[in-house]
Amino acid sequence: MAAARDRGPRPAPARPVPAWLPFLILLSALASGIRPARASGPVPSGPDREHRVKAVFLFNFAQFVEWPENVFAGPKDPLVIGVLGENPFDEFLDEVVKGESVREHPIVVMRFKRVEDIKECHVLFIGSGEAGRLDGDVAALKARKILTVGESRDFLAHGGMVLFVNEGGRVRFKINLDAVQEADLSVSSKLLRLADISGTAKE
Amino acid sequence: MRNTRMNGIGRWVHAAAIGAVLGYHSPWAQETDPLPSPAQLKRLSLEELMDVKVTLASRRAEELSRSASSIQVITRDEIRRAGIFTLPEALRLAANLQVARIDSRQWAITARGQNAALSDKLLVMIDGRSVYTPLYAGVYWDAQDMLIDNIDHIEVISGPGGALWGANAVNGVINIVTRPAEEMSGGFATAVGGTFVRDLEGVRAGGKLGKDVHFYAWSRRFRYYPSEFGDGTDAKDNWGFAQNGFRTDWTPASGDRLTVNGSIYQGRASMSPMLQTAPGQTALDGQSLQARWSRDFGEASGIEIQAYFDRTSRLIPSTFQEELRTWDFDFQHRFPLGGRNSITWGAGYRLSQDDVTNSAVLQFLPAYRDLRDLGFFVQDQIEVWPDKVRLTLGSRFQETEYSGFEAMPSARAAWNPTAGNTLWAAASRSVRAPSRIDVDFHLPPQAPGGIGIAGGPDMGSEYVNAYEAGWRTRIGASLSAALSSFYNAYSDLRVLELGPDAEAIVANGADQDIYGLEADLGWQAMPWWQFRFGATWMEKEFRYRSEAALRVPGYEGEDPDAQYSLRSSLDLPWGFTATAWVRYVSELRYPSVPYYATASLAVGWAWRNVEVSVSGQDLAERRHLEFRDGPVAREIPRSFAVRIGARF
Repeated sequence: MAAARDRGPRPAPARPVPAWLPFLILLSALASGIRPARASGPVPSGPDREHRVKAVFLFNFAQFVEWPENVFAGPKDPLVIGVLGENPFDEFLDEVVKGESVREHPIVVMRFKRVEDIKECHVLFIGSGEAGRLDGDVAALKARKILTVGESRDFLAHGGMVLFVNEGGRVRFKINLDAVQEADLSVSSKLLRLADISGTAKE
Repeated sequence: MRNTRMNGIGRWVHAAAIGAVLGYHSPWAQETDPLPSPAQLKRLSLEELMDVKVTLASRRAEELSRSASSIQVITRDEIRRAGIFTLPEALRLAANLQVARIDSRQWAITARGQNAALSDKLLVMIDGRSVYTPLYAGVYWDAQDMLIDNIDHIEVISGPGGALWGANAVNGVINIVTRPAEEMSGGFATAVGGTFVRDLEGVRAGGKLGKDVHFYAWSRRFRYYPSEFGDGTDAKDNWGFAQNGFRTDWTPASGDRLTVNGSIYQGRASMSPMLQTAPGQTALDGQSLQARWSRDFGEASGIEIQAYFDRTSRLIPSTFQEELRTWDFDFQHRFPLGGRNSITWGAGYRLSQDDVTNSAVLQFLPAYRDLRDLGFFVQDQIEVWPDKVRLTLGSRFQETEYSGFEAMPSARAAWNPTAGNTLWAAASRSVRAPSRIDVDFHLPPQAPGGIGIAGGPDMGSEYVNAYEAGWRTRIGASLSAALSSFYNAYSDLRVLELGPDAEAIVANGADQDIYGLEADLGWQAMPWWQFRFGATWMEKEFRYRSEAALRVPGYEGEDPDAQYSLRSSLDLPWGFTATAWVRYVSELRYPSVPYYATASLAVGWAWRNVEVSVSGQDLAERRHLEFRDGPVAREIPRSFAVRIGARF
């Protein structure tokens, strides 16, 4: 302690408040009045870019996967895209599927709080909010013919079917072919070609 | 002179204004583009959809956001918006660093204190290639650069990283990550003219060489006007730097990646006769070649092998000449173990061949030395409670040239009570292994009757026991905050002891405690308006342990007690962006530097494939002092620059 550094007297602050400071405050005040005037109108709110792209992927999956016809009660019954737990898409997914249908089945979006609430469902998105409950969720869906799509790192290991991954800032997906085939679903070769495939039933 | 330059800038502003009226949409500001609508995305094929860039941050950046350490990531977008042209300037964007500009070419950069022109406790890597010199265990900042547009992002970790990275990662680790070749097809050209950076020209061309093989090559040069002495006279330290480089990536579908990159550079710097022992220009040049291969075996396992060669040389006329050749080989393997453990282990060997030509002014004895460094590390990341509690235990063991075997253990714990909330704490020990300047250095008395300085044959490592704790959180969708606190207990720090023969000898003779706080706040006030605030506060206590130690105030480095940085970034209509940045740095005492506050402003405008920016740096004062590295300080002038860039 005796040898603690001698700090010496502090030089008195030499300068007053810089002259540009009021200018900057003024500038920010002005800036807060500025609204963007892009041709596209007001800036859209809602989900981030990543979940927008994922929403459109979910819509595409509905087109590139075939369900056994007996999962639909009637030929014009809706094809349900479900979102389990936290909904990262806001209303965006609804907008994507609005007016769309697959093989005459109109696509509808449904939200489920818990896995027990799921009755009619064909594509189910299980968000990262469910990460702690994946085992239970997937097990409960095991016997159902539902294409499960997730984004938690260990989703496939827990028996999930399609996993979104972020590769170099882009959305890619992995498919667990064993799980898909166990559920009696058939995935078009176009989708398989683009996916990173795991499972013993590799082409 | 300044008037004609301002007129030049005025013309640019005028041209920009005309373009603005035409209201073209910009392909540049991808990150700031309006979010895509359902209809826009539905039009895309599956392949196109897979190519939509959704995040700037890599998966690694996401992992880092959960990590139990104080980390800040600087993105390319932030660098571009701030109107910055060189690498050390970009590091200022990380508020957890202490960055001080010494003159037009030299910088003092550290984290968590002990800043000096020869700062020696920071590890800096460019794509995993260490750029520190074993001469003084620091970084020659004037020899590290690249086309700034090549940077993908910069990871800045304040705090010890020795457990992973080894001796020298004592106070922090900086990793500069360049963009992969598959992102770089097409051409790019840029030119800058200004009042401090005099001119800068850069070009890049990239494309596909074959199936899964991409390539880009780049070239750039720049010149700086001199800094100024306190009375406004020319410090005569104008300098220029030219560099060429390439990178190629092979990314077959198997998940492998083979990257080969290299660069070659040359620089020339003048110096004021007042600061030089002999007339002539300082000359530096270097070459590097690096190959890295990585393979993923699945989600949680993979290997990475890297080798590089780096040659760098520097000539200070009649004073010092050095040629350093570095050969480095690293191996890393990670794999899951029993569901909850993720093991990473690796080994590295580095041979540095340092060849100095001695002068009457200063000498390294022996003039030539092979420095060998062999390291091994292992780390286990344990999911104690999956997605809630994580524990990371690890250590590096290293055999260094001067001090022999060293162990650098670390324990880190992170708790995520809710998604988006991370509380973390860590305890680590890191080592600063002696470098040539500690052991081999000889500086004869500079004046008759004065004393010389000699390296200490018994100089050993400097140690730190570092304790950290922090909190990272997201509040709603628009606010993110990170707060880190640290307490560093250093021991065996370097001092000068008065030896026989009127010589000061380097020895381990002091301890120091440094404790402080770091804050990093981001606020997306509006989709088009973003703020980032950063601050550091520090308290230090230095104790001489050696009776024989010469009391040289400031010898252990000097840092501001507080520094603040606030940046506001706006997306304006018609492709304009505006970034305002204010910084405050409190005074330094030994040697004395008054506090300063300064501001910079950059306005960018993008139209089709062309981008123009006008920036003013350090606007608050005609000139200001940031750091003293000797008796005659240089000051940094207020400056303006215009940049134009085009992609094709």
